[in-house]
Amino acid sequence: MYEKTVIITAPHGIHTRPAALLVKEAKSFDCDVLVECNGKQASAKSLFKLQTLGLYQGVSVRVFAQGPQAEEAVEKVSALLITLS
Amino acid sequence: MQVNGIAIQPGVTFGEALHLGQGHKPLDYRMLPIRRIPQQVQRLDAGIRRLQEQLAASLQALDEHSEAHALVEADLLYLEDSDLRDHIVDTITQLQFSACVSIERVFAHQASELEAMDDPYLAQRAEDVRSLGKRLIRAVFGRPGAEPGKLTVPTILLADDITPAEFATLPLENVAGIVLKSGGITSHTAILARAAGIPALLSTPYSELGIENGDTLVIDGGAGVLIRNPAGDELALLQARASEHEEARRKLDAFRDKSAMTLDGHEISLLANVGNLNDIMQVANLGADGIGLLRTEFMLMHTDTLPDERSQYQLYSDAIHALEGRVLTIRTLDVGADKELPCLCQAKEENPALGMRGIRYTLANPALLKTQLRAVLRAANLGQVRLMFPMVNQVEELDAVLALLEECRRELDDEEKGFGDVSLGIVVETPAAVLNLPAMLPLLDFVSIGTNDLTQYAMAADRGNPCLARDYPSLSPAILRLISMTLQSARSQQVKVSLCGEMGSDPRLVPLLIGLGFDEISVNVGALLEVKAAICAQDFRRCSQLAGQALMADRLSELTDCISRYK
Repeated sequence: MYEKTVIITAPHGIHTRPAALLVKEAKSFDCDVLVECNGKQASAKSLFKLQTLGLYQGVSVRVFAQGPQAEEAVEKVSALLITLS
Repeated sequence: MQVNGIAIQPGVTFGEALHLGQGHKPLDYRMLPIRRIPQQVQRLDAGIRRLQEQLAASLQALDEHSEAHALVEADLLYLEDSDLRDHIVDTITQLQFSACVSIERVFAHQASELEAMDDPYLAQRAEDVRSLGKRLIRAVFGRPGAEPGKLTVPTILLADDITPAEFATLPLENVAGIVLKSGGITSHTAILARAAGIPALLSTPYSELGIENGDTLVIDGGAGVLIRNPAGDELALLQARASEHEEARRKLDAFRDKSAMTLDGHEISLLANVGNLNDIMQVANLGADGIGLLRTEFMLMHTDTLPDERSQYQLYSDAIHALEGRVLTIRTLDVGADKELPCLCQAKEENPALGMRGIRYTLANPALLKTQLRAVLRAANLGQVRLMFPMVNQVEELDAVLALLEECRRELDDEEKGFGDVSLGIVVETPAAVLNLPAMLPLLDFVSIGTNDLTQYAMAADRGNPCLARDYPSLSPAILRLISMTLQSARSQQVKVSLCGEMGSDPRLVPLLIGLGFDEISVNVGALLEVKAAICAQDFRRCSQLAGQALMADRLSELTDCISRYK
């Protein structure tokens, strides 16, 4: 398993639009990418689940994945979490 | 007959009523027999497919880089989300509810989870989720769209809500206005309507009016009301206002996109004084440089309880979003004197104008003030925020309020809540404040002159007393000197000076204010374009000469002559 922890910096958090971009990125990988935040877990491929995690500014998020391309997927998704706004 | 709503722009708009076919049949909440379950799952899938097709089609018509495109795409991602479908299917199979009831439950649950979030911007998304749910239910019934068909006359559309996707497919040519039951000022549809220049009235409980298709409706944006079938005097008045507004708008519209700059290139920062949500919505549209005075006591006028930190934070962040990067100047609660509030237990005072008002009242009620300061500090994380305190006369008051502010910062830090930097200022509204300014300036980033109270306190003349109005006008040699002193001492310490009193909203006084050296003026929303037009017609050097002459005037008549002669 590969994992990484990042802090959200976007002032309005990961709201609908950036979350949609994140989901699109996650979907381009075969492995499942999971996001954990505020004690809750969701697949990065599910906008529905992702939205209720509370990805607002300042929270710490753990991204992890297993299987083919796990490392690349985690790197890509966590990079988006940091840069999106 | 009329109801109130939140208008996103001023002006009077007439149109024929048309209800968008958005409702669906009442849902059947009974449990279904097991044998009918598979059929419900099929209905769900057919509904999802139908809505996906429709959304994909509307995506084609949208500019790839537009806000609407991104939002429709997000709706599509939602619909293809297997987690979402699994949830609905579980509800159908385990609770034996119909597809529509299950959709309603799952979306309502999702929306309430979003609403519970400690972030107002994310919480607002709950509404988007709810309306997508409603749309999916309609799709299951076989009619996802809300197409009004071709409109032949100016029409005011009525709907519970319009999703960004629906908005994108509306035939906008004959849409005179939109009235929605839902919607906050930062809802996506509000943003799109504003961008398209379509008058919209949000959060409007229009069912109360019993409107039928074809009724004449009027949106009065200035007042934030919807009127059904006006007649007689009311109709005549509205029509007169509509044409008056139309004519004035045509003339002033040219100034909307211009910056407030004199003929010889001297730029003035022109801000707005606001005291309600309608005003806040108009600031960006008017091409103002921001809000120079947010009268926060308006939050209290109609309620029995003080808004808590969360509601205040929501309000300030709504304002910041509506301002699209422009500055927001928040004045802390200014109560007392003529502004009595139903929810505050204020002791009866013999002489309220000289009593517990402005910062005196809030310093005596630190819990109240701290709630506001915390909300302001947190909102400052989202945009450019300035904070100013009313009725500060001595540096001791400033020390006390700054200590409270520091306390709030420490608390927020301990609670790990984000907060931002605020510029600090006071409203200069008494002669004592002018005289004590040198001691206070090192602690301040800006000052804003409140000319109404400054006149009243300098002259000891009640501005509401009709016997005094003629002899003690808002502009007199004494007031002009106080203003000039303020400008001089602030400038010597590089502190910015703004003017937020009524004086700034009088286009005739614009040349004088520019000449005195104000770099910033904050005016009423209704006067903003007029003042901007006046600024754009001035020559800075001539304004300076005028100010020089005005400052030499010893008599009221000399001063008024000097200004009225200036062309």
